Amino acid sequence: MLTRRHLLQKSAISGITLLAFENCLASQLIPAAPEGLGHSFEFLTPYDRGILSKLTPVILAEALPKSTEESGQAIKEVIVGWDNAVSGLPTLTQKEIRKLFSVLDSNFIFSLTPRLLTGVPEAWNDPSEIEDFLYSWYISDPESLITGNELRIGYMGLVELTMAVWYGNPRSWDFCGYAGPPDLL
Amino acid sequence: MNNLNEIIHDFVAEGFQRGWKHIDASQIAADQTLEADVVIAGSGAGGGNAAEILAQAGLNVIIVEEGPLQTSRDFHMKEDEAYSKLYQESASRYTKDRGIKIFQGRMVGGGTGINWTTSFRTPASTLNFWTKEMGVKGFSEDEMRPWFEWVEKRYNIRSWIVAPNANNNALEKGCAKQGISWGKIRRNVMGCLNLGYCGTGCPVNAKQSTLVTTIPGALKGGATLISKARAETFELKNDKIEVMTCRSMTPLGNAPAKHSINIKARHYVLAAGGIGSPAILMRSENKILNPYGLVGKRTFLHPVNVSGAIMPYPVNGEYGAPQTSYSNHYIETRLDNKKSGFSLECPPLQPMLVATNLEGHGKVHAEIMRQRPFLQVLIALQRDGFHPESIGGSVYLKTDGTPGLDYKVSGYVWKGIRDAFLVMAEIQFAAGAKAVSPVHRDATLYYSLNKVKKAIETLPMEILKARLFSAHVMGGCSMGEDTTKSVVNSKGRHHEVENLSVFDGSVFPTSIAANPMESIFATTAKFATELAKNLVS
Repeated sequence: MLTRRHLLQKSAISGITLLAFENCLASQLIPAAPEGLGHSFEFLTPYDRGILSKLTPVILAEALPKSTEESGQAIKEVIVGWDNAVSGLPTLTQKEIRKLFSVLDSNFIFSLTPRLLTGVPEAWNDPSEIEDFLYSWYISDPESLITGNELRIGYMGLVELTMAVWYGNPRSWDFCGYAGPPDLL
Repeated sequence: MNNLNEIIHDFVAEGFQRGWKHIDASQIAADQTLEADVVIAGSGAGGGNAAEILAQAGLNVIIVEEGPLQTSRDFHMKEDEAYSKLYQESASRYTKDRGIKIFQGRMVGGGTGINWTTSFRTPASTLNFWTKEMGVKGFSEDEMRPWFEWVEKRYNIRSWIVAPNANNNALEKGCAKQGISWGKIRRNVMGCLNLGYCGTGCPVNAKQSTLVTTIPGALKGGATLISKARAETFELKNDKIEVMTCRSMTPLGNAPAKHSINIKARHYVLAAGGIGSPAILMRSENKILNPYGLVGKRTFLHPVNVSGAIMPYPVNGEYGAPQTSYSNHYIETRLDNKKSGFSLECPPLQPMLVATNLEGHGKVHAEIMRQRPFLQVLIALQRDGFHPESIGGSVYLKTDGTPGLDYKVSGYVWKGIRDAFLVMAEIQFAAGAKAVSPVHRDATLYYSLNKVKKAIETLPMEILKARLFSAHVMGGCSMGEDTTKSVVNSKGRHHEVENLSVFDGSVFPTSIAANPMESIFATTAKFATELAKNLVS
């Protein structure tokens, strides 16, 4: 007869198995991290970087340079900028961002949080799928009974940090018509 | 060019080279115990200001600041550098439910180091409210006048006679066309080059922040500055504080490091701002510090909503003094509190500030950024704390002991926010805007007043939809004569603990209904002068 204890044990074991399976799967579906411009990453894992490399062009759209070479370089700089920016945040905020990436990094097919709820793309190679996902977080109801305000806050975090990093970078200034700080001398 | 060199001569850095006493706590190798007559937690408008008065009275003063010591040579007018180094939580501090983003300085100089130099006396209506409704003594207009005059001299607060930048000019023009009263803002600057980079630290020492005025004044008087140290708790014995415990911060400044600094003093002054000061009292976990549970309550923010407009001409709001024109029309016509009053001002428009505070992403966001040089922006600051429904927020401690603020926007203030969206759109169209966009999740660019009006009528006034901001944290240790309804008396002295004072914006019983810097200067100048007298005699 199955006791409550057995059940708990069993679910704990299957949880661990699933997690391992999930990570194994994730490693196949998550895009490879672009090289890091010689930066030694303190916060972002290769998974995080792979995902950011796909999210950044969707978030910044036309604000990124047109040529593939330049936009590739820009995306790498955004990722390095992300790592620097997060490293300077309070520890508790860093933990929240880690939680956010754990939602983005894992593949949710077998996860306890159904992918249906979060809308995180299964793979990250289709920009229109990424846009749909981002948009669903953008318009998510901050008072949702199931996800609360988490998706909306997650959206704001992803977008705000990406914008901060890119528009703090002089490479973006041409696009937004900014001549930079005045020359004092 | 000689003149320019003279202006940017970094006399603060030189003062330290000549021997002003400074400890960078992130660099110390061992725990320390120090002694002083007075120790002050915080170096902003309250702490820096009080430090000079106390030091020049002959008292031995220690100033403890959580942020870094940076001087004009470190200010490069670069947003990425400034926000991460000089602001609380890299300029991404939010209220608990993420409804309001809070900009607070965290540097030697506090908020005065990165604010936009806007200087207003405390409005008479606010002083009267405190006197009549909040049990505050000694704050009548007549009693405060000499203190305003004194700080205006000390911080060179004067009329700004240079022509406004196009961003502020649009506010003036739009208000004039709408028949709404407006005025010119006084600024605490000396030799200002009209650059527009007040928010990233003044690179030419023109802004008369405490960093270049009263902190040097205190240091010349023998005070010691400790930077990158967080004041943590008070330890008490027989209802008197025996020691203030501090913790060194990491060189990056975002986390506590391992060394403790214990400071024993005759008197302890809290000046860590509306979130920081209550937090120190709460962490101390001593009933006598907070007998009625009022610490960290009634914290006000002047919640700000934002309206962006595309003008037919370049605005380039990144350049020129950022905030020089205002309208108090909707403060003055709403003093009966039937509707929430608000003042109107402009922000600077450097790209990072614009990009991070706009709604949305992708194409839409990029298109607005492409038109950024044509962007004109108005902000509305709500006068919170004067209506029974407007009770403000409460400070709480997170799991690691750092403070947060739980602030729920009242229905009353939300109505004021909706009104402000409309008023701002009207002013912007009157000033010639091609299109206006309320900064709200569900809004877009509207090309006529009618369209934006219609939209504003139905936009949900809810957090995480309407984007809200604050740069003014006030209250949390409110003053008054009733010991059961306030934390400190009308001289900033704690009601129960004899050797403790609070000298910052947290003593205000309501919001100020104007940018609070000069109110903090005047209030704490009055407090510190009285305290100095008591301690010296």
